[in-house]
Amino acid sequence: MLSLLVFTPIAGLLACWVLPARHARAINLVTCAAALVLSVVVWQRMDAAALGSLANPLAERAAWIPPVGIEYYLAIDGVSLALVLLTTFVAFVSAIASWRVEKLERGYHMMFLLLLTGMLGVFLAEDLFLFYIFWEVMLLPMYFLIGIWGGPRRQYAAIKFFLYTLAGSVLLLAAIILVVLKNPGEGGRLVWAIDHYTALAASGHALLESGLAGLAFVFMFIGFAIKVPCWPFHTWLPDAHVEAPTPISMILAGVLLKMGGYGLIRIAYPFFPATAMDLSTWVAAISVIAIVYGAFVAMGQTDFKRLIAYSSVSHMGFVTLGLASGTDEGLNGAMYMMLAHGTISAMLFMVVGVIYDRAHHRDLDRFGGLAWTMPRYAMFGSFAFFASLGLPGMSGFIAEFTTFLGAFAGVDRWAAFVALLGVVLTAAYYLITLQKVYLGDTPAVYKDPKHYPDLTAREVAVLAPLALVTLYMGLVPSTAMDLYMDVARGLTRTLAQAASGFPGLGLG
Amino acid sequence: MDLGPLLPAVLLTLGILGVIVTDLLGRGRRPAVPVTLALAALAAAAVAALGIPTGDGLVLGVLRADAFGVVFAVFCCGVGFVSILATLRGEALRTPGGEFLTLVLSAVLGMVMLAMSADLVMLYLAFELVSIPSYVLVGMRRADPRANEASLKYVLFGAVSSGAMLYGLSWIVGLCGTTSLDGLGAALANGAASEPAFVVASVLVFAGFAFKISAVPFHFWAPDVYAGAPAAVAGFLAVASKAAGFAGLVRVVAATLPSVPALGDPLGGLLPEGGPLIRAMAVGALLTMTFGNLGALRQREIKRLLAWSSIAHAGYLLLALCVWSPDAMAALVLYLVAYLFMNLAAFLIAGIVIRELGTGDLAALGGLGRRHPGLGLALAVVLFSLTGLPPFFGFVAKYSVFYAVLAKGYVWLAVIGLVNGVISLYYYARVLSFLYLAEPAEERTLRLGWPDRGLLAALVLPVVVFGVAFWGDLLEWARRVGPAVFGGG
Repeated sequence: MLSLLVFTPIAGLLACWVLPARHARAINLVTCAAALVLSVVVWQRMDAAALGSLANPLAERAAWIPPVGIEYYLAIDGVSLALVLLTTFVAFVSAIASWRVEKLERGYHMMFLLLLTGMLGVFLAEDLFLFYIFWEVMLLPMYFLIGIWGGPRRQYAAIKFFLYTLAGSVLLLAAIILVVLKNPGEGGRLVWAIDHYTALAASGHALLESGLAGLAFVFMFIGFAIKVPCWPFHTWLPDAHVEAPTPISMILAGVLLKMGGYGLIRIAYPFFPATAMDLSTWVAAISVIAIVYGAFVAMGQTDFKRLIAYSSVSHMGFVTLGLASGTDEGLNGAMYMMLAHGTISAMLFMVVGVIYDRAHHRDLDRFGGLAWTMPRYAMFGSFAFFASLGLPGMSGFIAEFTTFLGAFAGVDRWAAFVALLGVVLTAAYYLITLQKVYLGDTPAVYKDPKHYPDLTAREVAVLAPLALVTLYMGLVPSTAMDLYMDVARGLTRTLAQAASGFPGLGLG
Repeated sequence: MDLGPLLPAVLLTLGILGVIVTDLLGRGRRPAVPVTLALAALAAAAVAALGIPTGDGLVLGVLRADAFGVVFAVFCCGVGFVSILATLRGEALRTPGGEFLTLVLSAVLGMVMLAMSADLVMLYLAFELVSIPSYVLVGMRRADPRANEASLKYVLFGAVSSGAMLYGLSWIVGLCGTTSLDGLGAALANGAASEPAFVVASVLVFAGFAFKISAVPFHFWAPDVYAGAPAAVAGFLAVASKAAGFAGLVRVVAATLPSVPALGDPLGGLLPEGGPLIRAMAVGALLTMTFGNLGALRQREIKRLLAWSSIAHAGYLLLALCVWSPDAMAALVLYLVAYLFMNLAAFLIAGIVIRELGTGDLAALGGLGRRHPGLGLALAVVLFSLTGLPPFFGFVAKYSVFYAVLAKGYVWLAVIGLVNGVISLYYYARVLSFLYLAEPAEERTLRLGWPDRGLLAALVLPVVVFGVAFWGDLLEWARRVGPAVFGGG
């Protein structure tokens, strides 16, 4: 079942390759729909017990490279499920948004599907080696998607993205090998299963001696932080986002950034709970810097897309802030922020894409009064803005609210106060942008309905589902929270034990 | 005395004679005959090598046909085989003459001897038997001034470093009173190793090998030589010659290391523990990786770029060697096998591109990926694999090396190596950006025959297949060389 889910996009990719290029976009859409349906079926098959543990009937496990103990091991629990659902959903709407790609159509859709396999694989792989493979597999299509189909500075952005991510992942690889090496299983056999190490660490067994544990945790943290991206590892993001085509920006912000958070929650924190808690003040500090700095920089942008990109940096700060607190509420907030930001940022990038398609520029100072000529567009645009700035009733609010609960309950209370400043700034830059783009007088250029038509049916089909989910997640947060809370509580227990029981490392 | 282990060498010698005779008799009218003969000799030698009953015994007192020697013998025969095929389809698109085949076969013969040698004199002779044909191979295209320059440079550098090595060997023999590698170990254990002269001798010997494997700072010849030589010959030098150099180095280190006392540790655990040779190799590995990769960043011509990249790869191989554990030895073999496929494929593509476009300038590759999806895909796979990205063979190889390095606890050595991998991504990805992202300067289509495609597929498919599956078995196979080097098997 899980293999089917992961490799459905590969089947679509082969179909794209074999069938005429004009069918590629339809195949892409159908494949993404199939993946979405499959992930919902998986969801339906999971009961409360399955959500709380990886050891459930859906897991698939087979020897892959026996001499070194590497397995083909896919498994799912609530955290994975929540992110898999987000992935297939965002991929589906992005596939709709990709309908009008004209350059090298076949190649684009093949890369898109390869990317989807990589993303699903990362969220489902429970063997460290397999995880790393999927992690890197995802890199290749992204490089080409930005580099071939991107904006004017696409080559620079693609290489920067590639180099940054690879730099992070080699550190991750070094840390993974260290962990595997120092913890051989029975008879000196190597073990690569993630849940094996999670269980070991949860039982109070330190995976590495203190100095090495600090090193390995820092390596892993940097590896994942580049993806999140945490300040100061975020500089690839604005370039990549701005140059990527709209649907790819949606996936980049909606799903790819979540892999960093997922890695922290699934691997870095559970493996080294004591080190993580020792360093929590540092993590909290870079989180609030990201939140406040991201918001300030966003406020200073005149490029619409760059503004959204920096708002992502700012919002992802909440994810690490929640994690750093090590409390139930904090983890809840971190996970919820990932899901909420996934849909909201996808919506925001689509909103930018819509106007860029018409105006061919993104200069905020040259827009104005679009609410009068494109009312439906203004409605969705302002909806996305309000969702992102955390208006109650939408998912962003729940995420920020629970994160703050967690941060106030945790040790670094000061961080929560500073982060509040970020919320105010966020409201400020969104309201300013709202005013610049939608309100005021409409410059004459935008009054021409032939060049500036309101949203088309296709664009509504992209934005409406995202908006509905945002609203639903804002009104009925328990649906999503029930998915991952069991796993999150397990992690908090480990972290709490580690903070009190295990010896410190003298690194904090 | 059992002469069975000599069979590969005998077959290669017969092949050399057969090629000379048929070439002379055919007077170049039927060039296919010597080519077939040469290929058959290489294939037969490889099969014969596989059939050798491996053991610890000496043949004629100077050769040892253990698992390690056999693996390298088969490896070098394979590279020779592919290089001859690649020459058929390379820049000149012509059947190579008898002299070319003779030289390749002689070099392979030297490599086989080098990998099996158990005596310093044998080792040096084999070393020269590899070098001298290589000098001529580089200068084969007599009309091309660049080839002449390359050949001359190669000879001069080669002569100097070979002299240094011979000088170093003479010191060692003077210290130990024997030329046999086994005797060497015993003599060193009896106190010869603590002489300061031994450190000097070790460094001199390493210099000779460093030239052969193009390790920094003995690498200056490589870019010019690779750029001047035909791509197929460059591939042959970059893979087979390098592998043979490593085989010889392993032989010397294995003989001397166990009896050499470890040096002090001035750098706080950055370098591996061990004697002067190990230290020299570790420093060489770090320098070679770093300078190889930095040098490659600025290159604008594909053969020069591949030359610098092959220098960097020599650094990774040295890294595996300086760790000196059975794991690392298996990683070295695995890396060389991966390197064979990746690098020969890369040089083959370079040869085809130069044949068709008349230039190896990267800018000339513009838009090639779109007009020739197959060739573009192959090059993309090869370059990503050279970078060490999964799911390709190159990743498995790099992973094995870094695994071995970390298993010994050298975290910083591994981190420097991994960071180097990131640097290398930049120039490999730059080739791809010319291939796919750049707008074509002029529309030019390559003529790719089915032999081109077939040969390319044969080299690229293993890069993918072994990246995804079966590499566990390959690693098991590679681990068999461990006991031969470390004893206990």
